[in-house]
Formats: sequence, structure tokens, C-alpha cells
Amino acid sequence: MALSYREKSLYASLVAEILVYGPYFVFHHQNSLNKVAGMIAAIIVLQAVLQGIIAAFSRNRMTDERDRLIELRGYRAGYLTIATLMVAGLALLWFHAAHGSLSLNHPWVGLHFLSVFFGMLVIADITKTATQIVSYRRAL
Amino acid sequence: MAAIRNQIRELRAEREMTQQQLADQVGVTRQTVIAMEQDKYSPSLETAFKVALALGVKLEQCFQYEPRGRR
Repeated sequence: MALSYREKSLYASLVAEILVYGPYFVFHHQNSLNKVAGMIAAIIVLQAVLQGIIAAFSRNRMTDERDRLIELRGYRAGYLTIATLMVAGLALLWFHAAHGSLSLNHPWVGLHFLSVFFGMLVIADITKTATQIVSYRRAL
Repeated sequence: MAAIRNQIRELRAEREMTQQQLADQVGVTRQTVIAMEQDKYSPSLETAFKVALALGVKLEQCFQYEPRGRR
């Protein structure tokens, strides 16, 4: 399986996203601003290291019109995902607030929302990367 | 299948040109040449002209448009 520079880069991104976001969302029990900040720092460092290694070992780093088309497909899938999640999230918020099961005056509610919206961003980002990988594997 | 078909593989073989050589001449990646040869990717008009030029043929000798349902 001959992978182009862009494909290797995408696989590295997916690995980094799963390694950093996976444990955070699967194992964490309490929302914390420090944990979110730590996760952002970890993804930046891991991405920089992985992308640097791939760039160092790739002779041909050229991209072309097909790469750009696949990139656009990925961004479209990511946008549709985050838009859908936002609408669903706002509908759930309205539902719980209307039925009194969510207190908007609670001191932790801001952090809770931060975590939920960050989760939406993460899902959209993973969808974007996965869509691009699938597009490459299907030739487009 | 794509409505645009091509003879890139045959024309390239006649000229004993590798996929990488064609890709370098056209300015695309080898994976894009592979995708075009498999009729999985229809290139832009500019790239199609570049491919025909690199293979030394007219555009219509390299690419054919077949409206869907006529095959």
C-alpha cells in the first residue's frame, strides 16, 4: 500500500487525535479547565512531533488538485458534523432547561458546556480526518 | 463508473513511461495518476491538457466523455 505524504500525515493526525482525545473523553470523570488545557497542549505537541517525523522521512511532499479536493470533502464532512451536533446540543439544552432538569445557575455549568462543545469539536475533527482517509482509500 | 474515461495507461505503456515520470511531468502525485488510470478520478481541464501534452497526443485521444447510460 503506497501512501502519499498527505495520507501519512492524515493517519498521524488520526492516531494523535485518538491517543489524546480518547483517554480524556473515555476515562475522565470530572470536568476541569486544566484537563482541557492539558489536552490542547498534548495534541499540539504530539501533532508537531508526528508531522515533523513524517516530513523528515518523506522525499516527495508535493500536493495536487486531488489532495485539495479531498481536503475540501473532509472539511465539508466536519462542518456538517459540527452543525448537526450543535443543533442537537441546543435542542437538548432547551429540553432540559424547559423541564427544570438543568440548572443554569450552577457554578460548574460553564465548564460543563465547555467540555460538551469541545467534545463536539473533537468529533467533527475526527470525522474530517476519517473522511479524508476514506476518500484517499477509495481513490477519491 | 466515471463518465470520463481515459487511455492514460495504454498511452503511457506505449511510451514506456512510468507513473512517477508522468506524474512529475504533469505536476501531480503518483497516486493521482493511479486514480486517473483506474477511472476513479476525473482531472481538471488544465491537468487533462497537461496529461495529453506529456503523452504527446490530442486531448480527445487521451480522454473521452461517455454520457451515463449509453454504455
